[in-house]
Formats: sequence, C-alpha cells, structure tokens
Amino acid sequence: MVSDDTLRTHLQELRRGTVVVASLIALRRPDYGYALLQRLTGHGFPVDANTLYPLLRRLEDQGLLTSEWNTEESRPRKFYRTSEEGEQLLGRLLDDLTAVQTSLTGLIEGVDR
Amino acid sequence: MTSLTDRYLAATLRAVPAARREEIAIELRGSIEDMIDGRRAEGRDAETAEREVLTELGNPTQLAARYADRRLQLIGPAYYLAWEKLMKLLLSFVPALVGVIVGLLEATDGGNPGGAIGEGISTALMAAIQIAFWVTLVFAVLERTNTSLNLPAWTVDQLPEDHTNRQITLVDTAAAIGWLVLVIAYLPIQHFRSFVPSADGENLPILDPALWSFWLPFLMAVLVLNVGLEIAKYRAGRWTWPLVGANAVLNLAFAVPVIWLISTDRLLNPDFVNRWEWLSREENLNNLGTVAIVGTVLIVLWDVIDSARKAYANRH
Repeated sequence: MVSDDTLRTHLQELRRGTVVVASLIALRRPDYGYALLQRLTGHGFPVDANTLYPLLRRLEDQGLLTSEWNTEESRPRKFYRTSEEGEQLLGRLLDDLTAVQTSLTGLIEGVDR
Repeated sequence: MTSLTDRYLAATLRAVPAARREEIAIELRGSIEDMIDGRRAEGRDAETAEREVLTELGNPTQLAARYADRRLQLIGPAYYLAWEKLMKLLLSFVPALVGVIVGLLEATDGGNPGGAIGEGISTALMAAIQIAFWVTLVFAVLERTNTSLNLPAWTVDQLPEDHTNRQITLVDTAAAIGWLVLVIAYLPIQHFRSFVPSADGENLPILDPALWSFWLPFLMAVLVLNVGLEIAKYRAGRWTWPLVGANAVLNLAFAVPVIWLISTDRLLNPDFVNRWEWLSREENLNNLGTVAIVGTVLIVLWDVIDSARKAYANRH
C-alpha cells in the first residue's frame, strides 16, 4: 500500500509544471489573482494561493504575462494576460504534454501486465 | 489598532525588494481582501475569515521569499559538494598544523611553557571554527549571488582506482600523521620545557637526558619512518602484506627499545622521578612500568593483528 506521504509527493511532482500551463491558458482571458485561483480550482487545478500569486509575478518578470491595473472597481486589481511570448511558450509546453501523453500510451500498450 | 492583515502585509513586505514593495503591497492586499470576501460569502464571520485566509497564505517570510524568488537554503545542491570537499580538506590538516606550530613556538620562546600544549589545542580549535565559518560564509554568498564556480565537469576519469576497497581514507591518514608529528615534536619539547620545575626552579626533563646520545633520536627517526608508512598506506589505499610487514617492523623498532628502557629504569629522568614522592617509591615505579609495558604490548599486538586482518580481507 502506498503511503499518503509518498502519494502526495509524487502527485505534487507530477502537477508542478501544469500550474504554469493552466495559468497561461486561463489568462488568454485577462484576470486578477483571486479570480484566476477560483477558475483554476473550478477546472480541476487546485493551487495554493501562496504559490499562485508569486508565480504570476515571476511569469510577468519573464515576459510571459503582461499586466494592467484596473481601478474602476471597489479595490484596485492587477489584471494579467498571456503575452505573445507567453503564447509561444505555451504552444511548446502543450506540444510537450501531448508528446508525454503519446509516449505514455505507447509505453502502456507495449508493456504486458 | 492595526488589523491582522496590516500586520501580515508589513511582515511580508519587509522581506521583498524595496523597488517592488509598493506594487506588491497593493496587489497582495487586494488578493487577501478578495479571499476574505470569498470566505464571508460562504458564511464565515469577518474575523474567522481573516484568520483562515492569513493562515492559508502561511509564513510571511516564506511568501516574501517566493515573491523575491529567493532560495530558502544556506548552501544549495549546486555548491554543496564543493563546500563539503573543501571543508573536509581544510579541516583535515590546517587546525592540527597551526596548533602544532603555535604550541612549538609557545614552548620554545613563551614565558609559560606549561601552557604550550593547551595553547596549541585552543589555537587548533579556533582555527577549525574560523575555517568552518569563513568557508561556509563564502559559499553562502556564492549561493545568494548565483556566482558560477566554473568547476571542471565530472568525468569518469575521476573515479577512484579502488573506491569500494579503499580502507585508508585521507582523513585517517591526516589524523595519523598529525598525531605522529605531535609526538615527534613532544620529545624535544619535554627536554626544554616540561611542566615540572626542579627544586631550584630549573626545567626538569621527563625523559632521561642521557638517552639523547642515541635512543631518543632513534625513536624520533622511527616515528618519522612511520609518517612515511602512513603516506605509503594512503597511496596504496589499502593494507598489503608488504605494508603489514613494514608496520610490524616499525612497531617493534619503537616498542622493543621503549619496553627495554622501561624495564631497566632508564626511560624516565631520575631527577624527575625523585621529584615525586609517590613515584620515587620502588614498588610504585615498578607497577607503573609494568602497566606501561603491558599497555605498549597490547597496543602493538592490536595494531599488527588489525593490519594483518585487513590485509587478509583484501585477498582475492
């Protein structure tokens, strides 16, 4: 029986990079931190707030996201959007995810249980 | 009174770079308020919601480190092995060397010969602490500044010849040589600066000064050969039969004269013996001699048998 700790560590490892992919996809439609968190969670990408908020800033620093302040609502909010560069990177990442899935399928079919 | 959120923000912002502080402050406050609103919409009261949200965000220092992309480790994997290697190398010989040198200087010109060994030991300890501190500090700075060390990449040629069979490590060898050097140095030191003053305040050598005509230089020479043996052992990396033989010969060359000198009451300085009432009693001196002889024999036997056992274990 796999221990809960082991399971959690491996799931975490597996999921780590997908938060970036999911954020880049979701931010094709501009959004602010908390709303993005809700959307990601709603789509089956549960992510910790203390991971996501700093991550958004890092992606912005890397030029993968652009941002804009919206001061029309009750409190000022920073809206992020996937940049041209972010879109390019996203394309590569999605290709790679597909490649991983294809390889896994091939491997599963090729190995007898 | 400031709210928990204010205090949380202050604690977080303290640790992020000043240039971004303002912007992060506004955004993070907004995010926290959004999260609190979300919880309140689920029916929590304001205070509980705030506590829950801040607990979820976790330790502010850790959050700030994520914002600043700062690593939460003193020395990371990129530098750890280099740090460890340098540390082991320096600690294996520098403290011992510095300690011996300081002890020798202190013993030969200091006004307080009795403290020479203590001085040597405390200097060695200080040297070890200084090395550990400065090496670690330099590597911690390298880690923080992301400086490339440009170390040559590892290649298969660096594989040790007989890694799995190396019985004699660098640390063992360095320690053994360190002790030999200490003993070699002690023989002349005790002649000029023992801890014991004679009745008229002069220095009283522990070993019989008459032995300087032959036996003490001989014993020192044997010890120097022992240093050579340690080096040969390290180069071989393991006990071989010739090394076992040389070790046995050197052990005997040291132990036999010592035992003979003890048993004929010629090892200790007679003036030194007479200085102590307890020691100058015939039966006490004899008992002490017997203990020393038995001890010497046991140590030699153990050393020779141990070396032979290890050489035997190496047979193929």
